[in-house]
Amino acid sequence: MGDKLDTPAIFWGVILWMVAWGVLGSIALRRRYFARDLDTSNASFVGALSGAALGPVGVGLLWARTPALTGRFVAVFGVIAVVLIAAAFAFADPDNNCVANGSFVASQITNGLIIGIIYGFMALGLTLIFSILGVVSFAHGEFYMIGGMLVYYITAVWFPGISPLAGVLGACFVAFCLGAVFERLMLTPMYSGKIDRPVEYGILATFGLAFTLQYFVQAVHGASPVKASRFVDFPRIRWPEDADPLWIKTSRGNLTLFETVSISNPRFIAAITCILVLLALLYLLHRTWTGKALRAVSQDRDAAAIAGIDPNRMNMLAFALGGMIAALAGALLVQAFSWLPQVGAIPAMRSFVIVVLGGLGSLPGAFLGGILVGFVEAAGTGCIPDAQKAASYIPAYGMIVLTLTLLLRPTGLFGRRYASGMHGQGG
Amino acid sequence: MKHIPNLAGLLLLAFFAAFPLVYQGANYDYVMHVLITAFFYAILASSWSMLAGYAGQFSFGHMAFMGIGAYGTALFCHYFYITAEPTGFCTEFPFFGRYFVIVNAIGVTSTTLDQDCLRQAMAVWDGSVKVTPMPVALGIVLGTLAGGLAGLLVGLLVLRLRAAYLALFTLGFSEIVKAVISAEIDITRGQAGLELPALFERGVTVFGTSFERTDKIPPYYAMLGLLVLCLALLTWLARSRFGLFVRALREDQDAAAALGVNTTRYKVYVFSITTAMAAAAGAVQAHYVQIVTPNMLFLLQMSLVVAMAVIGGVENFVAAALGAIFLQILLETLRTSFTIGGIEVDMTVWRLVFFGLLLMITLRFFRNGLIAPLIDWFRRAGVAEETVAKRKEAAS
Amino acid sequence: MNTRVSRRILLATAGTLAMTAGAALAQDCPIRIGALAPLSAPGTVVGGEAMRDAMMIAEADINAAGGILGCEMELVIGDSEGLPERATAVMERLITQDGVVAVGGGYHSSVGVASKDVADARGIPVVFAETWNDTITGDKQKYIFRIAPLSSWTSNIIWEFALTVPGIDKAVILTENTDYGIPASQETQKGLEAGGVASTIFSVDIGTQDYAGIVERIKAEDPDMIITLVTGEAAFNFTQQAADAGIGPLDVPFITGQDALESGTYWTNVPDGQYAFIQRIGVPESQFTEKGKAFAAVYKEKTGKSDVESYAMEAYDSIAILAQAIEEAGSTDGDAIVTALENISHEGTLGRIYFDYGLKKDPSADGKGDEWWHQWPDPAITMIQYQEEGQASTDAAIVFPEAYKTADPVWVTE
Repeated sequence: MGDKLDTPAIFWGVILWMVAWGVLGSIALRRRYFARDLDTSNASFVGALSGAALGPVGVGLLWARTPALTGRFVAVFGVIAVVLIAAAFAFADPDNNCVANGSFVASQITNGLIIGIIYGFMALGLTLIFSILGVVSFAHGEFYMIGGMLVYYITAVWFPGISPLAGVLGACFVAFCLGAVFERLMLTPMYSGKIDRPVEYGILATFGLAFTLQYFVQAVHGASPVKASRFVDFPRIRWPEDADPLWIKTSRGNLTLFETVSISNPRFIAAITCILVLLALLYLLHRTWTGKALRAVSQDRDAAAIAGIDPNRMNMLAFALGGMIAALAGALLVQAFSWLPQVGAIPAMRSFVIVVLGGLGSLPGAFLGGILVGFVEAAGTGCIPDAQKAASYIPAYGMIVLTLTLLLRPTGLFGRRYASGMHGQGG
Repeated sequence: MKHIPNLAGLLLLAFFAAFPLVYQGANYDYVMHVLITAFFYAILASSWSMLAGYAGQFSFGHMAFMGIGAYGTALFCHYFYITAEPTGFCTEFPFFGRYFVIVNAIGVTSTTLDQDCLRQAMAVWDGSVKVTPMPVALGIVLGTLAGGLAGLLVGLLVLRLRAAYLALFTLGFSEIVKAVISAEIDITRGQAGLELPALFERGVTVFGTSFERTDKIPPYYAMLGLLVLCLALLTWLARSRFGLFVRALREDQDAAAALGVNTTRYKVYVFSITTAMAAAAGAVQAHYVQIVTPNMLFLLQMSLVVAMAVIGGVENFVAAALGAIFLQILLETLRTSFTIGGIEVDMTVWRLVFFGLLLMITLRFFRNGLIAPLIDWFRRAGVAEETVAKRKEAAS
Repeated sequence: MNTRVSRRILLATAGTLAMTAGAALAQDCPIRIGALAPLSAPGTVVGGEAMRDAMMIAEADINAAGGILGCEMELVIGDSEGLPERATAVMERLITQDGVVAVGGGYHSSVGVASKDVADARGIPVVFAETWNDTITGDKQKYIFRIAPLSSWTSNIIWEFALTVPGIDKAVILTENTDYGIPASQETQKGLEAGGVASTIFSVDIGTQDYAGIVERIKAEDPDMIITLVTGEAAFNFTQQAADAGIGPLDVPFITGQDALESGTYWTNVPDGQYAFIQRIGVPESQFTEKGKAFAAVYKEKTGKSDVESYAMEAYDSIAILAQAIEEAGSTDGDAIVTALENISHEGTLGRIYFDYGLKKDPSADGKGDEWWHQWPDPAITMIQYQEEGQASTDAAIVFPEAYKTADPVWVTE
């Protein structure tokens, strides 16, 4: 495997072609839909996708017919565009691991999926806060950080030998309280309309919290990296017993599928827990009064207030719950990564990317966005031929997704409205 | 009373102008250094407050433009040289009887690895051929232009974005810039940083007094001058029709558009002007510090600028600049540790905790910052006095 | 010091009586020595804190022995934050604000490169403790000394050791994209190539936490050895995640980052780190000098750590050697200290420290490169291996080079 593409001309030629038609499509179709007095909200995005996927044919068809631009177009064109890029890449660099090595691809996809689930879960907290308060919490990464730190301190320093579950629950509890107290102390002036620009106020206030928390932990804990030991060991499994290859094989710290894809225990446990908590959260939101009240507030504050829901309490609950979700993600990952006061920055950035991609305020969007971002990072790290640079660019992959989303479709995949939120007002 | 803020401003300016000539402490150079850095942050904070406070464009990418300015001049000074003879190793063009040399990019190396083409040639020449670096001033101008141009492009891209989306987009832009600089080691030398010539590489002579390149007085006045220039430009802009339109943009974009203000045009203008200021500050600071690294694009640096502007008063760029100067000095002096009741408080870490708390308290209870209300208070007191005087006149 | 001169002319004040900052403080007690260490992010704070603790022990030891020139010695700690631009400011502050007469310590190479010019311009001697970049001494500055090994020497030991791995054809190098990692990885690659071993370099940002994608790529390369040229927690993350994926120290010959020398932190962060190799500067604890043993005992007690990192010892020595030089020079004048340092023979924790080349003799006189200028020639560079789980790094077996060897390496592949 070389460091560079074997035939870069093919790959870059195709990319250039796609970008050129994409730009053309996005501009042309927006104008066309505008001129015909049709709904333009999706025109640039679908236009770009059609140009990228089918070139002049796609743009031409849409131009001529101007159909209603539904999600189906997005899906079809999106898949074609991705396949096209993949094909161009495969032709340009046939020896690349991403093309030639099946088990490598399977491993990367699994990795992307697992880490994507965890980050999607974390982003869920951010989007929950946004949907109720209209605030992008810049302290999300710090909640993640204190979650991990607390688990370490509870299980290894304060009460050695205590069950990890107690550590995780303790971390969640502290984060929940911290979120609630912060919301009461700092965010309440936003709701009364006293502040002329609540969105910016919210960003700055959470920013201040992030700053304070990070340096507080650094001052108290210092800088030595810590890590919690594995929460649980896998039991020894060989299943099915006489198959070759074995479908599932485990050791204490590892799970191997079909003897090609290996998943480390901490990540597996974290992803499974995230899915379980997500289900619990869905239950809370859809089956309990509090959850229904939360959703009601996020959809229409005034109506909710008339129905007897106190939006103020919902604001507090949403912020505390959102912070707790981030802390839980951290609490689960502290057994996989070394923990420092600065660890929050990267996952926070990734959460921003995910919520914008999924659509600010959309819960399913956040989860799907998380998985997509997981895949993009896995593809970027795994497939870029230049080994020197592939990993150095990890922080940028997500940001490129963010930039593209904001340019082409600011509402994200599932965004309900293109607005800056309600700022928790009303009631 | 009304003129107190203006008078105080003039006095302060006179104080900073005279300070290097009067101050005598043994820690002279260190104090100078703190002040130069304070002015640097003041430019960033005031231009950011114009962008965020005045125009309502809440950008988190201000440091990225600063970085573009700094790297613009750094790359320019690092890769282009004029030599008297052809090197024979590098890409070069005849240039008015001399040679314009483009040094090859080799990234970070040590003495046991290959050196770049110009250094190979210079080793052969052994000092017999004159090698002229590019003028620093040209580099700074180019860096500023690069920053302004990037600001123009980003300004065009973010036209449709508001509030939280704008903040996230600019944050993303800033991260991409940082990642590119860190990863393209061959060209930018990554984390190792690019070294630059000093602001006044061969020293300067003013009024018969010569200053060496390590002297702090020339960069001090350069940075102070740039700050005053930026503040003057911002004041002029704010008082002109431009300022009115920009304010209208903040208050209500749709209403401004309905009244016939070309909102997009003003948005892009204000973006490129303020980012060019950030870039200029970055370029001058880079030549002063003589090294640029991608770590200056750390989110922490951006948060410092934001916090400084907020604590000063985000809607008043003079207050933001003062806030920056004040806080930079405070942060430096707070580095000394102290002991309360037998517990030693290591201020190198705790000072940032206090800083964060100050930021939150200011936000919560002093919405216009700590300095802007003072200025306003004096102005308003002046107005009140005038009214009273007028009424008296009318009565008599 | 032209700064002062020009300003005095400009002012034409009675200030002519005022001496320059350094000289004015020179007569004063206590004598101040600066200590440079990264104590906040993005610097490698683990390393910085170890160095700070070691230098504070040096301060206590020197004062217990009667101080310097009859004065008490006071250590002034400067936080470089691992940022070159901060480092110049800190150096500036140490010299002009705190009035230090010499500076020790220093961890990040980029910090050393940026701050040495400030000190040199001001005539303040610096003994760098842990900055490996060749140019630090290669610039042949009058006031700059170094007791750490050169980056190229440490790379040599790495690839020479790698070539002894049985059946090695292919190595993978994971490096951080800094001025420590990049040249070191290139030198290692060059050395391996000369020995007929192919290698692939992967470079990462220091802040990276999740290495799953990179680990898979490395796995796909099927290397016979993995070399980690990464500092701080990044190395811990990578090593443990590689172990999770089945290419850790238990599976292939694996050189992990140097911060693994603090074995307490290492075993917390990398529970599956048995059989990892680590580069260590300095001889094993069993071969320590008397001074080394005494320091190790105090250091372990003070920090609660299970062993002494090599950079802590270097930091201690950088302060102790300066104290001896000032004592021998009989003054705190920079030039006098430089002369004393050039002729010094210091019994340090690392062994006898001396400088062969400098103003008295240019390295080129012996056909040596510029990087030998003011460079201590014999820091012992060894390769150790954690052969037992939970071992302290000072108890770990030294497996390379022959001269210091205490045990044969355990090859996990055999």
